[in-house]
Amino acid sequence: MNWNGKDIESFQQQKEYIDTLLMPLAPVSFENDMKEVASQYEFIQLLTMLLEKQFKGRMLLVPPFSYIRKQTEEEKLTALNRWADEVDKAGFKHKFFFTSDSSWKLAEEKINGSLIWVPSVPLEHMEDSYKYSLIEEQAKQFVNIIVHKWQQNLS
Amino acid sequence: MSKQPVSRRQFLNYTLTGVGGFMAAGMLMPMVRFALDPVLVQGAEGEYHTTKQKVDELTTTPTRVDFSYEQKDAWYTSDVTNTAWVYKDEKGEVVALSPVCKHLGCTVNWEGNDHKNQFFCPCHNGLYEKSGKNIPGTPPTRPLDKYPTNVKDGFLQLGKPEPQTIA
Repeated sequence: MNWNGKDIESFQQQKEYIDTLLMPLAPVSFENDMKEVASQYEFIQLLTMLLEKQFKGRMLLVPPFSYIRKQTEEEKLTALNRWADEVDKAGFKHKFFFTSDSSWKLAEEKINGSLIWVPSVPLEHMEDSYKYSLIEEQAKQFVNIIVHKWQQNLS
Repeated sequence: MSKQPVSRRQFLNYTLTGVGGFMAAGMLMPMVRFALDPVLVQGAEGEYHTTKQKVDELTTTPTRVDFSYEQKDAWYTSDVTNTAWVYKDEKGEVVALSPVCKHLGCTVNWEGNDHKNQFFCPCHNGLYEKSGKNIPGTPPTRPLDKYPTNVKDGFLQLGKPEPQTIA
């Protein structure tokens, strides 16, 4: 499910089936690394969109959690976990945070949810068809991880 | 040639009728064409998108065929990528099924999660037979949609998915 009126309408009707939340974590910066973070976001966005397409009926893709890259770890973590608590309250059983920002990897165990860190690939000079097959290859691996996570909770 | 001379009156009558006829036709033709236009126009359903799949290479095992085309929504043009599961049935006819689960819209996989000879939906364990018929007892309540198919120069063309009515 996407974050739009139509999908949310069906989400509200079928709430018991949709137990997974997908949220990109997107750093923002206007300094020298501006292009780098923008390119990371492009990659993560395509990846999460494809995963949403694959798992539409069980997953809600929400707007990205964006933060200033210079912020301290503490600040970012508190803000994210504040989000995560809200998501728990809404009844989601699984939370997946997708990011290319390696700083999260260091704080992984303090995050309330599953962090999926993907090193981003610069896509800006790539041909469209090649770009899609690359994203698709990546997505395939996460499909397995997500399905595995779902099955873990069953048993 | 008749020997009867054509009188001036007759000659003028013929010419005027002839010219008038042409003028009337010139006026009426576009009107008729406009009136008929909505009937003659090809609907969006009639639109086929060519895939990269050669029809000769299809087997009885469903294969994944991806195809993309440009879609224009008001000011927003985007490339849409769609997928179909395509195979040949016992009669050798091409069957193309939409991978969108009729439960909540996940993407189904052929023989996913070791379900032999079935389509499997990973979201809520929905199952479909090879024909696309939903298996009772699993969440989906309707069969998978079917693409109208066409062959052009040996390549498969797919239309807009339509609901199936098999029992």
